[in-house]
Amino acid sequence: MEKKLQVNNLTVSFRTTDGKVQAVRGINFDLNKGETLAIVGESGSGKSVTSKAILGILAGNSIIEDGEIIYDGKNLLRISEDEFHAIRGDKIAMIFQDPMSSLNPIIKIGRQLTEAMILKGKVRQRESRKNFNTYLKLLEEQMIAANGGQRAAELKAKCKNFDKFEYKHLELEGAYNKAFEAAQDAVFELEALIFEISKKAAKDGVFRARKVADLAVDAIHEYVVKEEAEEIRILAKQIKSEAKLLNKQETADLTSLSSNLTRVNEILTAAVNKTAPNFFALGYFYTFGKEQLPNLPVDELNKFLRKYLDDNFMLDFIADAKKAIQFSAEASYNEKKEVIEFLKKYRPVFEKNPLDKKECLSAQKAFAKEVAESVDKMEIVKDSLAFAFASILEAEIEKYYKAVVNNAKEEARYAKQKAAYDAKVAKGKTPGMEVVPASILDLEQVRGNMLRQIDRLIEHYETKIANKDQRDYDAETVAVIDYLKANASGVVNKVTKSMAKKKAIKLMEEVGIAEPRKRYNQYPFEFSGGMRQRIVIAIALAADPDILICDEPTTALDVTIQAQILELINKLKAERHISVIFITHDLGVVANMADRIAVMYAGKIVEMGTAEDIFYDAAHPYTWALLSSMPDLDTNEKLDAIPGTPPNMIYPPVGDAFAARNKYAMKIDFERQPPMFQISDTHFAATWLRHPDAPKVEPPKSITDRIARMKERGAKDAE
Amino acid sequence: MQNNEEVLLKVEHLCQYFGSGQFVTKAVDDVSFDIKKGEVFGLVGESGCGKTTTGRSIIRLYDITSGNVYFKGIRTCAGTGAYRKNILEAKKEYKAKIDAASDAAEKDRLKKELDAYVAEQKKELKVASYDQKNCDKDYQLQQAAAVKAKYLPLLEKASGAEKAQLQAQYKDELRKAKKTRLTTQIQMIFQDPIASLDPRMTVREIIAEGLVIQGERNQEVIDKKVYEMLELVGLVREHAGRYPHEFSGGQRQRIGVARAIIMNPDLIIADEPVSALDVSIQAQVINLLNELREKFGLTILFIAHDLSVVKYFSDRIGVMYFGKMVELASSDELFAHPLHPYTRSLLSAIPLPDPEYEKKRKRIVYNPLAEHDYSVDKPSLREVSPGHFVQCNEAEYQEILKQLNK
Repeated sequence: MEKKLQVNNLTVSFRTTDGKVQAVRGINFDLNKGETLAIVGESGSGKSVTSKAILGILAGNSIIEDGEIIYDGKNLLRISEDEFHAIRGDKIAMIFQDPMSSLNPIIKIGRQLTEAMILKGKVRQRESRKNFNTYLKLLEEQMIAANGGQRAAELKAKCKNFDKFEYKHLELEGAYNKAFEAAQDAVFELEALIFEISKKAAKDGVFRARKVADLAVDAIHEYVVKEEAEEIRILAKQIKSEAKLLNKQETADLTSLSSNLTRVNEILTAAVNKTAPNFFALGYFYTFGKEQLPNLPVDELNKFLRKYLDDNFMLDFIADAKKAIQFSAEASYNEKKEVIEFLKKYRPVFEKNPLDKKECLSAQKAFAKEVAESVDKMEIVKDSLAFAFASILEAEIEKYYKAVVNNAKEEARYAKQKAAYDAKVAKGKTPGMEVVPASILDLEQVRGNMLRQIDRLIEHYETKIANKDQRDYDAETVAVIDYLKANASGVVNKVTKSMAKKKAIKLMEEVGIAEPRKRYNQYPFEFSGGMRQRIVIAIALAADPDILICDEPTTALDVTIQAQILELINKLKAERHISVIFITHDLGVVANMADRIAVMYAGKIVEMGTAEDIFYDAAHPYTWALLSSMPDLDTNEKLDAIPGTPPNMIYPPVGDAFAARNKYAMKIDFERQPPMFQISDTHFAATWLRHPDAPKVEPPKSITDRIARMKERGAKDAE
Repeated sequence: MQNNEEVLLKVEHLCQYFGSGQFVTKAVDDVSFDIKKGEVFGLVGESGCGKTTTGRSIIRLYDITSGNVYFKGIRTCAGTGAYRKNILEAKKEYKAKIDAASDAAEKDRLKKELDAYVAEQKKELKVASYDQKNCDKDYQLQQAAAVKAKYLPLLEKASGAEKAQLQAQYKDELRKAKKTRLTTQIQMIFQDPIASLDPRMTVREIIAEGLVIQGERNQEVIDKKVYEMLELVGLVREHAGRYPHEFSGGQRQRIGVARAIIMNPDLIIADEPVSALDVSIQAQVINLLNELREKFGLTILFIAHDLSVVKYFSDRIGVMYFGKMVELASSDELFAHPLHPYTRSLLSAIPLPDPEYEKKRKRIVYNPLAEHDYSVDKPSLREVSPGHFVQCNEAEYQEILKQLNK
């Protein structure tokens, strides 16, 4: 499972006039590719702060005390604002809770939707160009190196040819896509229009009929609509002239119009279902082929083209590329072996107690250099562990030395305050002050972290070397060529204003906004709450993000729209393989969305597990309380509201933060914080109830009843 | 639910249109229902379907377009739109008829008929607009008369110091009676507890505002009542001096509830009171409303979009779609046998805390154009089984009956 995002020991506080509010206190989680992680908790539990930290948009009075957020080989807490610009909104997008405050009230919706697309289009074009060129160059170098410097001229020419026909391919494909999309749009529109005309209730009919006619003409292309081209042109003309009738559809005779539309629909549906030719091969044929293109049906043409390409170019190229990749990998394996030895050699430096600062830092520097060398440059998916290793180690060392100074200070302060307090008590006065416990960082723990980092990398590399023989170089070569193709297509696919508008309108339709053309030119205040939220989602999706953070996206919406939006997010997740962090307080919503759930309370994750773990086998009393405080369709008894309010995070409780509101709290809950107890491979809970010595406590009756009901229903459905 | 058949609120053909001329938005279109004393009536539907507008029309935040609202048997809202429309249509109809008629006598007769009809409609219109304006006035007079009837005989008998005291009491009560309004017995709890409380007023001022407007001048009485209400909703006396921003969301909503019940209302219109709150606080507020309902026998019009909460809290539920009431039944009946396709679509969208079920759940999409054919036969709200109403036309009605009898 590829890890997209790792959050380790994140700690965030806020400076306020009353003191330091500890909003997030050391949370750990990771996010896999294509999964939904839900973070659930009451307001003030720190779930929004976590998401804002990931996006680097914490408020000005925030202090990131500790931790790391690793994305794409970078620690997001330590990169510059400029670097963040490339990630925020583009790779990681966010849907906010309050749609009104995340839209600009004085700019029209259309501009807000297309702004990012146009900006990003320019940047992406530049970046793709750069990526393509660097990677092709790298491939060329490695190819030549793999052959020991022989055949250099031939290999150079090959790479150049690849570059050349790749562009031809994209041109061809671009034209085809335009026509194909037009056909697709037309079919989509036609089905609705024909149905509505048959009911004599077509809204905005004249405009739509004319648009369909235009689209049908746009769909004329060699590989989309070819034989019927003339017919389509005639039909389109007729439809355009007859469209006026739709103004008086109640009375007018629409048989001719609807038969024309039906015919267009037939032709275009057939066109949409046709297979597309292999443009990659076609591009090669047009660039280097010397013969006439044979007149064959598409399937056979594809076979022919494929063979032509393979025989003349591709098989050789792939063989060479594979050799290059293998060569580079072998080289990096040797480097990796060296790194392991190096790490093992210098590990004792970090085992010393106390650490020697000079030795540590020099070792860290050497590590950074060695590890950077050991990374295989030909890898497309970056090895985040290796990439982030050096910076994490540096941060840990820094933390250690800061703590050495701070701990002494804290201890002195505590001793002084305690003495004053005791003196007052001894005199029999009321102290009138509070002794703030010393906040001391465990140096051993930090040192342990460093060692763990080193061990983790050694283990990582060792498994890599052990799995050396299982590597599938063929698949990797294909991935490399796909990567090159994708980057090349980024160069050709320019985003113009009209294209952005088209895409925006499509997105608006996709998120369920009626009459998007009219809506496109409206201001946010003209939309209702649900509609505004849809716009916000459309804006977030416009950038094709990698990770989507949804901060209570449906809290302000009603059930049907909520269901639609959840379905929309699920669909997009499946289509684009994006990872979703879903923040909410509504567990009902989570059941639908989440693969895994983290329950947060007072800045800590108190329970974490798969959706099934949390809903069928919850372990933490707070999760029980959340589950039993919401009614479902069969609830009749009084709801178990959670008494009281969350604790004041300026003075977080010494023990379990939930103890004061917890009817299952034991003595130890008020004294010591519970560690994370592992319940199963995927299920963790921080509650003393899971300690082996703890008394056995059953979850509240309302929950056990509900689970029984769910099981019953499940059994019934299975029948 | 108390077994009480007394109708507290009756809504008849309520229409509320916004805009004018070509751009009329029919926010609420011909909605009828009644709420019995002591029950909780839930109103659900998606945003923009007119449920909030219905609530606000009942409490007279809007002047309704047409229809009637009876509260305790007194007409509190009366719209005139229907009568105006009738007159216009009649005039048009008769004009055609008169033009078609051949002899003068026939024309004369028709003209007279029209005049009579128009006069009748105009009279109704006048009554309606009088009621709309003066329902409170009549109620005030009634109350004043009651106070007079109570005190005047006492005053005659009394003498000396006792008389002076009685006189003062009488004056005070009479003043209050003249200020009472019938609609204060309907109170509203708003959706957003942050926006619905004035940030520049203390909690005491917010809660007491209604009492002050109604003419209460004795600070002691006000304080006593405010403290009583605060304790009732689970806050403490000390909170009275604070400002709204010092409270959490759930506590603010409690202040909203206290402000509503201090007027001792018979009907509370709760407009999405828990939608903006956290799950744990939602439970607190719902439990509070439930307690108050048991204590005072309150009747509640509960407007919400969270169906599981509505199901849990309401006795009867009305489902609205684009300004129309499409289905109305007791809550168990509605969830067990949803008959209107829109209700089915709404029920299929409810998320439940059960991942296994959620993975299989299929949302039903409602498309009114595909579901119904209303080109010939217009739909209306029909009773298909006792207490269960569905918006349908004759063909659909027969279909549903067939289904039910199976």
